[in-house]
Amino acid sequence: MDSPVSAAIDVDHLQVNYGSQRVLHGVSLSVSPGEFIAILGSSGCGKTTLLRTIAGFQKAAGGAIRLFGRDVVNTPPEKRGMAMMFQSYALWPHMTVLGNVGYGLRLRGLSKDEIRSRVAAVLKMLNLSGLEDRKVTNLSGGQRQRVALGRALAIEPRILLLDEPLSNLDAKVRIQLRSEIKALQSRLGFTAIHVTHDREEAMTMADRIVVMDAGRIAQVGAPKEVYDHPNSPFVASFMGAENTLDLDVRPAGAGVEVRAGDGSAASYGGPVPVGPVTAYFRDDNASLDDPQARVDGAIVLPGTITQRTYPGGHYRYVIAVGDRHFTVTDDRYHELDRPVGLRLPLASLHLFPQTQTSGGFHA
Amino acid sequence: MAKPSLLGLLLVAPALAMIGALFLYPLGFSLAAAFTEPGGGLSLMHFQKAYELYSTDILFTLFIVVVSTLLTALFSIAIAGILTLGETPWLVAALRALYRWPLFIPFIVAAQCMRTFLAKNGLMNNSFVALGLMEPLQATSLLDWRGIIITFVWKQVPFVTLMLAGAMASIDRATIEAGRNLGASRIRVLLELVLPQVGQTLLVGLVLSFVTMLSVLSVPMMVAGSQPTMLTVDMAFRINSYGDYATANALGVISYAIAGTVAWIYLRHSVKREVQA
Repeated sequence: MDSPVSAAIDVDHLQVNYGSQRVLHGVSLSVSPGEFIAILGSSGCGKTTLLRTIAGFQKAAGGAIRLFGRDVVNTPPEKRGMAMMFQSYALWPHMTVLGNVGYGLRLRGLSKDEIRSRVAAVLKMLNLSGLEDRKVTNLSGGQRQRVALGRALAIEPRILLLDEPLSNLDAKVRIQLRSEIKALQSRLGFTAIHVTHDREEAMTMADRIVVMDAGRIAQVGAPKEVYDHPNSPFVASFMGAENTLDLDVRPAGAGVEVRAGDGSAASYGGPVPVGPVTAYFRDDNASLDDPQARVDGAIVLPGTITQRTYPGGHYRYVIAVGDRHFTVTDDRYHELDRPVGLRLPLASLHLFPQTQTSGGFHA
Repeated sequence: MAKPSLLGLLLVAPALAMIGALFLYPLGFSLAAAFTEPGGGLSLMHFQKAYELYSTDILFTLFIVVVSTLLTALFSIAIAGILTLGETPWLVAALRALYRWPLFIPFIVAAQCMRTFLAKNGLMNNSFVALGLMEPLQATSLLDWRGIIITFVWKQVPFVTLMLAGAMASIDRATIEAGRNLGASRIRVLLELVLPQVGQTLLVGLVLSFVTMLSVLSVPMMVAGSQPTMLTVDMAFRINSYGDYATANALGVISYAIAGTVAWIYLRHSVKREVQA
């Protein structure tokens, strides 16, 4: 991740402690100008800490943060020249929309008229025209977060930091604002770092996804790359491959033979690790087939349907294979307690050399 | 439904009786006495006398209490601001541990301490001389209006700070961070973003301090000389030396009026806020 000076944000072996506890263990990340990065991870993984350290609200214990080549690790937050959006909107309740959006401009010494005209332009961009003199406490959640976005964009920042700004909004507004932020980012060309725990949000908004785990970066890559080729069991299960199955891979002829615990086997020609492996797969990678079916390049495990739900568009089944349970989505309707074959195409399984992980449904 | 309300009345009756006997009756009595001439008719003669004898002290009292309130506001904002926005952990910790102490010291003890601290040969001047900061000849006593103000401010700052720091701690931290993120220095964040959000609390603290300082007898009596002095001292003097309750009551009504004006400003402000919200 060694980057040239042209990187908008260059985080270099960044370490952060809370008291005596280390929460970021030497994180390195380089973000190009105009790039939209999503930092994804479960709570406590250090994603918000990373963002807050870049913003300057959290002191670094080691490493460097360079913004367009300038090291800011010891610079107070007000001198870093970024803008940020917060989960709680963080609007100033004693000010109007104009006061909130125009505050950054006021700090930069612009005249009242100039502030008014620039705020009007920003509000127009966000479909909030005419709300200048409204108290922010009299706005809806979606409007408030739009005002917060306007406040951040009014100063024309080169870097925008987003700290889960959409998680307090209801689903419809969230999806709407998601595409608005993305569209504005493409139009205005600022660099954005978006912290979220919502996988779909990260996938749809970001050019690259950074998956974090326990204070370290687990994987960085384009959404499709991370989704289709997770580099570790953690990333695989975080990206939705929550079913796990122990398999045994042995060299056979030109390829390998993959064998499950119950004796079902298939041969495969793709590159896979040899030896005992754990397979991770999403419920839409598997499908339901005849228990006796033999399919090239796929393992078919005989089992029974124990549960059926309809989340919309397709059915979701829980299949018992021996003492293990797997979730599978299938378009067709099947009766409960019916024997079925769980068909797993080897190409869509994520195989990792076995550790201590046991089989079954991995939640 | 009649029985429970009768029971309720019985339950609050002792408290009501206490308020009536110990507060409302004496208050009404002294109010009436202030407006009654010796013959029994209504008159403003006691106020005229109070004004002739003590107009300077009325202004003096107003001056002391207003200046003390303003200084209390200034110091409380500074301390609460450091507690909320400070980034030097040891300074914040030390300040947090120390600032509350004067709260637990009674006014009379504080006044006594100030006598020995602020006198011409008091601890403060002696320390300055010992440190070489001033010559012994330059030492002056601060035991006058300045002493009263210093004691009042020293005593009331912790109280207002306690309220203010609590209010500042409960505002959304992100509103502070949003300001700094946009480029506001900590002092601007304090004055433009934090203080307006806790203005109501500051106002309450200052109104309560104002009324408290207006009613303290020990401090002006012990710290400063007798001329000019505060209304509390004058009232005690009228009663103790002359048994002149009427003039003392008139001075008391003037104190009520001053305190009432401040309370009215506060009420007006909070009603305006409620209408806005």
